[in-house]
Amino acid sequence: MKVGILSLQGSFFDHQKSLDLISLESLLVKTPEDLDKVDGIILPGGESTAMSKISSYNNLYKKLDTKIKQGLPTLSTCAGTIILSKSVIDGDTHIPNIDIEIQRNAYGRQNESFEADVKFLNNNDIYCFIRAPKILRTLNNDVKVIATHIEDIVGVSQDNIVSLTYHPELTNDNYYLEWLLAFMKEGKYVGSF
Amino acid sequence: MKIESTFKVKKGLAEMLKGGVIMDVVNAEQAVIAEKSGAVAVMALERIPADIRADGGVARMSSVGVIQEVMNAVSIPVMAKARIGHFVEAQILESIGIDFIDESEVLTPADDVNHINKNNFKSPFVCGATGLGEASRRIAEGAAMIRTKGEAGTGNVIEAVKHMRTITNEINEVLTCDTNQLVALSKKFRAPLNVLEEIKELGKLPVVNFAAGGIATPADAALMMQLGCDGVFVGSGIFKSGDPAERAEAIVVSTTNYNDPKVLADVSKDLGEPMVGINIDTLTEEEKLAKRGW
Repeated sequence: MKVGILSLQGSFFDHQKSLDLISLESLLVKTPEDLDKVDGIILPGGESTAMSKISSYNNLYKKLDTKIKQGLPTLSTCAGTIILSKSVIDGDTHIPNIDIEIQRNAYGRQNESFEADVKFLNNNDIYCFIRAPKILRTLNNDVKVIATHIEDIVGVSQDNIVSLTYHPELTNDNYYLEWLLAFMKEGKYVGSF
Repeated sequence: MKIESTFKVKKGLAEMLKGGVIMDVVNAEQAVIAEKSGAVAVMALERIPADIRADGGVARMSSVGVIQEVMNAVSIPVMAKARIGHFVEAQILESIGIDFIDESEVLTPADDVNHINKNNFKSPFVCGATGLGEASRRIAEGAAMIRTKGEAGTGNVIEAVKHMRTITNEINEVLTCDTNQLVALSKKFRAPLNVLEEIKELGKLPVVNFAAGGIATPADAALMMQLGCDGVFVGSGIFKSGDPAERAEAIVVSTTNYNDPKVLADVSKDLGEPMVGINIDTLTEEEKLAKRGW
C-alpha cells in the first residue's frame, strides 16, 4: 500500500520519515492526480491559511474532500485537523469532515508552545504542541475522543478519520508508529481509549 | 508535566514553516495581503531592506508599534529583526510575544565580536549564514532555523545561490569525510565539533534552512528550492514590485510546485514589473550586508 502526505506546505517530510520507519511506501501529494495513487492520506501541520491558498491553484481540496468522504484512511495533525474541522473559531472552514469545534492558536503564540503529557489510547507519552489549536467540543456522538492532555481533548476519531492537535511525527515513539501502521492497514480507527 | 519553549518546540515551528514563503511587510495592510496570498509567516519591519539600503545610516530594530500592528492584523506567525549581538532588542521582541526573532545582518550590527546567546530565550531565532561554519556557530548559540544571507534588498539571487551551494558542498564534505578528519574540518570551517558530529549523524543540518536575500521572482524561489532549501524568505521582492498580491501568490505556488516548470510558466505570466535589481559588483565592500556577522 502507498500512503499520501498532503505536501503543499508544512511538516510533510517528518510524516514521510514516520512512514519510512514502518516501511510503508509514501507519496508527496501536490495534485488531484496524485490522490488516485494512494490508499491513505496524512494532512500535516503547517499553516492552514497557506495550505488552503496553495490548494486553490489546482483545486486539490475538492478531490481530497471526495476521497475522504469515500472512506480513504485519513490522519491529520495540527493545521491538518483545522482543515477537516466542521466548525473553526478564529478562522475559515476548509473541507469539513469531522464533527468538532476547534479554535486556532488556542494556547497562545509561539512563546506558549509546549511539550506535555498526552494520553493517546492506552499509552502516555510526551508530545509537542506548536501554536496548537484546541478542540473545544465534539458536535455529536459519532466522534470518539482518543487522546487527552489534562482536561483538553487533543485527539478524536470519526469513521475513517483520526485527527490530532499535536505532533506525533516529531516524536515517532514506537506506540504511535505501531498504531499508525495498524490504522493505515485497517483503514479505520483502531485501538481503545 | 508541561514545559514551554523547549528547543524541540522552537525547531518544531520552523518545521511547520517548511515549503512556505515568509514575506517582509511594513504595516497591517501589507500583512493582510501577505496572509491572503498564502504566506506562512510575515517579517514585520519599519523599512524593507531595499529602503534600508537606499536610506543609509544606522538601521535598528523596528518600532514596537509597527510590529504589534502587524501581530494584531494576522493569524500566521510574525517575525521581527534584532541587530546582531543586540540581546536587549531581542528581549523586547520576546516580551511582546513575537513568534520568531531574526538576528539579522540587514540591521547595523551592535556587537563586532558576539552574536546573541539564543539559548537564553523562549522565542526561537533564525540567523543568516554564508557557509557551514557560520551556520554551525549560530546553531551552537541556539538558532532554531538558518537562512542563507544572500544580499538583501538587491533583487539579485546570485549571493543566495552562492551561499546555498557553499553550505551544501561543505555538508557533503562532512558526510564523506572519515571521522579522523572531523576535527580538522571543524578547524577549517570554524565550526563547533559537536554540531559537525550531529550533521554527520543526521546526514543534514539539524535545523531547517531557508533561502533569503535577493529572491524577486517565482523562478528565483523555485531555483532556491531545487538547490535544496526548505522554504523561502522574500524581502523587498514583493512590495517593491508592480502588483504585490499577484506576485506574492505566484511565488507561494512556485515554492510548492518548484519541480514543475509548467506551473512556474503559468504563474509567471502577466505578473507585471519585478523590483529593480542591483548588480552585486557595483556594491562597495561596506555596502555588502552579507559581510556582517562573525
